Amino acid sequence: MDFRSLWHRPESRFLILFLSILGVSFTIVALKPVNDAFVVPYTTLIAKVAGIILGLFGEDITINGCLLRSPRFAVTIYNGCNGLITSLIFISGVLAFPARLSAKVIGVIGGLVSIQIINMVRIISLFYIGIYFPKLFNSSHIFIWQSLVILAGVTLWIVWAHLFTAQPKTDEGRND
Amino acid sequence: MNPSEHAALYRSFLKRLPMTLLAAMLLWLALRPVLDVAVSGFAQLLVRSFEYPRVTRLVVEDHSAEVRRSDFRTDSGIPAIPLTEKHFNTIVLLALYFALPRPFSRRQLERLFMGWCILYLTQTMNVLFHVKCLYALSLGEWSVQNYSDLARDFYGFWRYFTDLPGRFSFPFLIWLGFNWDLVTRLIGPTLSSGEETTKKKPSTKPTTRPKSKRRKRTSGR
Repeated sequence: MDFRSLWHRPESRFLILFLSILGVSFTIVALKPVNDAFVVPYTTLIAKVAGIILGLFGEDITINGCLLRSPRFAVTIYNGCNGLITSLIFISGVLAFPARLSAKVIGVIGGLVSIQIINMVRIISLFYIGIYFPKLFNSSHIFIWQSLVILAGVTLWIVWAHLFTAQPKTDEGRND
Repeated sequence: MNPSEHAALYRSFLKRLPMTLLAAMLLWLALRPVLDVAVSGFAQLLVRSFEYPRVTRLVVEDHSAEVRRSDFRTDSGIPAIPLTEKHFNTIVLLALYFALPRPFSRRQLERLFMGWCILYLTQTMNVLFHVKCLYALSLGEWSVQNYSDLARDFYGFWRYFTDLPGRFSFPFLIWLGFNWDLVTRLIGPTLSSGEETTKKKPSTKPTTRPKSKRRKRTSGR
């Protein structure tokens, strides 16, 4: 089977595009200058927002970079916990999928916002799990919340694809 | 398939997903000790295949793989790799598979088996690159003497790529790749690729047997 015949099969074309976009985007965010100029400030911003929300819930929060500390518990938000990875995977899925440009723009913006909301719920809930159920913190952090976040990303992608690509397409409207 | 059937499939998938997530978590918890041994065992085999003398042993201890080298000093610390992080994504793959229609049919079980094998391979590669990265970057002078800058970059990149991006995206990719026909059916009528819509147009005319056979094959992987 040559590349051209693979390219003509929708599933393999999607997988090739998806992996290419994913590979490029993850390579870009792994570069040190990008990491220093974007990923670290972005993670710090997530920590600040989480700190503000926890403050609204009555927690006495001190924010130090990516570290959230209260007299009761402290968490550090690392690169894998900032929602960036799920966002990049979701964006790769949206961009690789055959759909109109406008649908892709809506998908990317809506997906980013939704994933950040879900991730914020995750951070806040993990903070309280750390306070009230410290023994469950690791399992909640690793396999419960990570699985939930990935599945939320997949579900968002399916909902987006269902809403925005299930209408009849014309040749002009296609952007794949 | 008409649009209402697509919509019903889509709704049933979304309804089933929370339940299948719970079932997948329970199954993974039950299989966790087996997966620990299987992933670290295969990773050990791969590490030892490329080293001379063969000194690496990965010993499973409390859901972590302890990296024990027979040439370590007796008083040196033993690095450990958490295995839960490496194979928890099995939950995602299982949940997605079980949420599709007729998950226990022979065809779906075959697809699950193939998908799971690929995911297992990616988990093993993740552990392999983690161990190699440990050797190339974390053992001080020994790492500098035994690994070049290129080797450090190579192992660092593949550890990174199989780690966060891989762990998060591989279950989805594998599920989608093996179930493209079902996923496109639940997404909507026109997405079952451009081919299907263009083929559906002349459906008012009688279709010949070989054509319909060909169509069946392309839509069913």
